[in-house]
Order: sequence, then C-alpha cells, then structure tokens
Amino acid sequence: MVLVTGAAGQIAYSLLYSIGNGSVFGKDQPIILVLLDITPMMSVLNGVLMELQDCALPLLKDVIATDEEEVAFKDLDVAVLVGSMPRREGMERKDLLRANVKIFKSQGAALEKYAKKSVKVIVVGNPANTNCLTAAKSAPSIPKENFSCLTRLDHNRAKSQIALKLGVTADDVKNVIIWGNHSSTQYPDVNHAKVKLQGKEVGVYEALKNDSWLKGEFITTVQQRGAAVIKARKLSSAMSAAKAISDHIRDIWFGTPEGEFVSMGVISDGNSYGIPDDLLYSFPVVIKNKTWKFVEGLPINDFSREKMDLTAKELTEEKEAAFEFLSSA
Amino acid sequence: MSEPIRVLVTGAAGQIAYSLLYSIGNGSVFGKDQPIILVLLDITPMMSVLNGVLMELQDCALPLLKDVIATDEEEVAFKDLDVAVLVGSMPRREGMERKDLLRANVKIFKSQGAALEKYAKKSVKVIVVGNPANTNCLTAAKSAPSIPKENFSCLTRLDHNRAKSQIALKLGVTADDVKNVIIWGNHSSTQYPDVNHAKVKLQGKEVGVYEALKNDSWLKGEFITTVQQRGAAVIKARKLSSAMSAAKAISDHIRDIWFGTPEGEFVSMGVISDGNSYGIPDDLLYSFPVVIKNKTWKFVEGLPINDFSREKMDLTAKELTEEKEAAFEFLSSA
Repeated sequence: MVLVTGAAGQIAYSLLYSIGNGSVFGKDQPIILVLLDITPMMSVLNGVLMELQDCALPLLKDVIATDEEEVAFKDLDVAVLVGSMPRREGMERKDLLRANVKIFKSQGAALEKYAKKSVKVIVVGNPANTNCLTAAKSAPSIPKENFSCLTRLDHNRAKSQIALKLGVTADDVKNVIIWGNHSSTQYPDVNHAKVKLQGKEVGVYEALKNDSWLKGEFITTVQQRGAAVIKARKLSSAMSAAKAISDHIRDIWFGTPEGEFVSMGVISDGNSYGIPDDLLYSFPVVIKNKTWKFVEGLPINDFSREKMDLTAKELTEEKEAAFEFLSSA
Repeated sequence: MSEPIRVLVTGAAGQIAYSLLYSIGNGSVFGKDQPIILVLLDITPMMSVLNGVLMELQDCALPLLKDVIATDEEEVAFKDLDVAVLVGSMPRREGMERKDLLRANVKIFKSQGAALEKYAKKSVKVIVVGNPANTNCLTAAKSAPSIPKENFSCLTRLDHNRAKSQIALKLGVTADDVKNVIIWGNHSSTQYPDVNHAKVKLQGKEVGVYEALKNDSWLKGEFITTVQQRGAAVIKARKLSSAMSAAKAISDHIRDIWFGTPEGEFVSMGVISDGNSYGIPDDLLYSFPVVIKNKTWKFVEGLPINDFSREKMDLTAKELTEEKEAAFEFLSSA
C-alpha cells in the first residue's frame, strides 16, 4: 500500500504514473495506490483517478482517492508526503513553518496510529527536513530511520551540472553529495565525486581543474536551480522532482549499486561528521535491505566544514522555531 | 549501444509533452538501449517556458538523452528526423467555430508536412496527436508527398485504453486482461468503441467480452458514450485536459510501432484507409484495428461486422469525409 499526499497537485501528477508502471517498485510488485488531498481538491483528485484508470496499468490493483487521514494512512508500506502548505504572498517564514508543523504533526500521528510499523516515509513537501523531523517525532513507535526527506533532486541537479560542464552524460558522474538542508544553504560537494572520462574513472576536481567554478558558480547554480526553473516555466519543477522521488524510493527498495552512494535527508544521530544529533540532515548514504547507513570516513576540508556547519545551523534554528509551535499546536 | 535516433515533439512547452518527454527520455518508448536526441519545438512566445522544460530534462539525469534541443524554427526541428510526434495544434478558443479551428490547423499541419518533406528522413514515422488529429494527420501526409502515407498515423490509443479500462472496471479485472478492443473512425465524439471482437481473461480462460458481460444494452449504450465523453469528464474534474493518460497512450502507440504488436493482439491506430476491406472510403485518415511488425502496420482483415457496428462505422466515416472536404478547401487557398 503506497500513499501519496498532495495527490491532486503538480508533483504527484508527474509521479503517480511512474509508481503505477513499475519503475519504482519493480515490474513484479502490484500496488494499491492511495491518494490523499484536502477536501476542496476532491473533484480534481477524482479526475486524476480517472486518468490513472485510463492508463490501463497492470500493476495498479486499486486506486483510492480520499480526504480522510484514517483511510489514507491505513496499513501503509510506503508514505510519500508531497503535500504541504505552500508559501503565499506576504507569508513570513515562521507562518509557513507553523502551518506545516500542524500538518506534519497530524500526519505523523496518523502514521503512528494506522500505518504498519515498517512503513517507509519519504517527505517532499517543504520545508522538507523540518517537516520530516516533525513527522518522525509525532510517530514515536516508528523507527526514526524509516523517515527520510528528499535531497535527491539537488543531488541529480549537481550530477547534471558536472556532466554538462564535462560533456558527458549524467550517468557517468557519481558520488556527489548534498549536505544539510533542502534550502539555499544546501552544500553540493563534489570532493569525493567521480566521473567516467574515456573509460577511466577520475575525481571530479581533478577532471575539471576549475576549483573556483566548483567552489563558486557550481554551488550557486545547484542551490538556485529550483528558482531558475520556476522563473522559466512559471511553475515549479514537477517532472524532475518526480524523477528524483522515484530514484530516492527505488534506492531504498532495491539498495544502492556497489561503489556508489546517494544523498538523503536522514536523522543525524550517530553521524561521524560533527553534525549535531537530532537533526534531519542530508548525508551521503549507502542502502542495503531497505536500510541506509552513513558513508563513513570521507575527509572533510575547511571549505566543506564551513558550509556543512552553516546548513546545520540553519536546520537547528528551523527545528527550534518548529518545536516552539509543536508544543503549542 | 546503437546510433542515436532523432525524435521531435511539437507543442513541447505544453501539458501533454510535459507528461510525455520523461517517458521518451527514460527508455520506456524506444527501449533501454536506444540513445535519443530529443528535439523540442514550440512557438516563439513559449521559448522561455521551453527552456525551463529543457533544464528539467537535464536535471532528470537521463542516460539515454544524448542531447536536447529547444527551438522555434521548423528548419532546425525537422532536420534528419526518425520520429515526429506532432502534439502542438491550435486549441479551440471561446467563440471559435469548428471551421475556424480547422482552418487554423490546416495551416499548421500543411507547413509541418512540408517541413517533413524538406528536412526529415524519408523513413520518418509521424504520429499526430494535436486535434483534430485525423484531419491534421491527413493534411500533413498530403503535404509530404515523397514520404509514404503509411508512415503517418494519428492517436486513437487513448480511446482504445479508455475502452479497455471501462471493460476491466465493469468485470473487476485489470485492464491488461482485456485485449482486442477496437476504436473505429474519427478521434471525436463519433468514434465507435467496438468490443465485438474483444477478449477478457476470466479465471485463467479467455472469453469474448460480450459473452462475459451478458449486458448488450450497456455495451451498445453507456459503455460507448462513456468512452466517447471521457475526455470531457476528465477536463470537468481536473479543469485541465488529460495529459498523463494521453502521454501514456502516445508511448504505447509509438512503442508498438517500434517493437511490433504481441502475437494474437491488435491495437487501434488512425491510418490511411486506402485498401481497407471494411467498406470505408479510400483517402481518409481513419482509425482501424491493426497489427504491426517490422515498424509496418497492416489492417486486421476479415472481422465480421454486424449491422449495429456498420451504422456507427459509416457515421464516423461521414464526419471524416466532411472534415476532409472542409480542410482541403482551406488547403488549396492556404
């Protein structure tokens, strides 16, 4: 049973088909797809349900559209929490935080009450890291390790920028890292990344020989890519977000390939990179048997250290602001 | 890995393309071993949006996409194409009469047909989606005389998939267990969804759909109108047209051209009616049941046609003939 929230929205529209056609959970895994959105969106959601039927997808055993948490969260194996309160004009950051804490506290409690204890929860709705932490805290009997947030889109964007710069395909670039918050303080780090050039694997810094680009424009391009797409499309990046969500979930389900690691927002407890515990922070991880583990022992230089701490600081402040609301919500 | 193929999608800044491009780029249409150069065409006012789509395709990090080209120029778009998916067309605006729509679209598809003639490979496969699909397809084919008419087809696969899905829902099976439905005629409200020859897998056995349902009045009544009006029903609910399911149908249509239809199964495609054995006039772009092998389609021959079907098939042929006559009035003056 797979739930997608915000199911009447843009990102879900690009995502649901990939879930239904087997490219996320595999061609042999039948799925009951549960779609949750708010009551005013039920008519639109019904239209989405009709389209999924018209797609004639053999793996979709059933599709359920609902606005009730009790129906949506029942017996879940996977929950993809895309829906969140979007920023409206005039809204301050703390208003956004307060509105979302309310949503994710409720959804965390619903997971606790109705879902399987083995449920894997992937949070996409922004602010993703703090929403994810809120949900995890509100579902105390579900292991915190089952919760993750999406930084795979930034990860894929980083791969793509390196690939474009070197004239290779993104697939030839691996082991980039996104550290920290899925926000403008994220740190795209390619100190440990490798690229396949003429059949040989080379470090990215060595291949590019352009440290100033890698420490400057590359980072800001990746950080601001979301805004650039919105500016061009007048809509946010649903297609590439859906692709990143598919990648993130597929890697949880099937594990990461040998010699490769990916970026995921996870609970920072026990990390060896000096990031405070109890934060939902993006790290490089490897995954096996649906369980992730930190990639240990990567050397961190001063430049990286500063950036990693900056985004940790932002996350700590966000967490404190959110938990002010959490106790009063 | 093979040489890349050049695939054009027009209307590339629009809704249907947005749902389609990713499927093309990730290998689910042309296969996991076929690299692609993807060409995106739209009108000049949409170039900024198109650039946003290009950015997103880059961010999808798709290994098969060797290059993505965004353009508003036909000369760039149609060059050396292997496949052209013509999604873009003039949409109906408020106050627009049917003949205004027809005239505007004849202009577009005459130009694109001529561009195919001038720049594309002669082996190009052209799939027309933009409505009115059948007549737009015929216009393009007529404007590209040295490309075989058989290389042109229009999409009725969405209606075909919708028909499968309605049968499946009624019988409580998955759509995959239903096969050999037929969509005859025009991709419009006169289309005829025909399940006289369709089969459904029930408890491991293959049964005729009419036999399995034992509900002839539903099959001759509500089933047909539901499929015919499904597009409008989705628009009413979503406030937007059915991009996701259209993109899926386009993928199915192209994949079947590329890889052929499975043994014992046929699909629906709008194709040139020349040489058909079902009494449909020649020189129409009409949806028929076809099988495909070696990237070449053939009519499914010899299916018995009862009176009910005959009437419906002729009705939609009549509409297509009228549409064609109206369109070609404009074609000569365009």
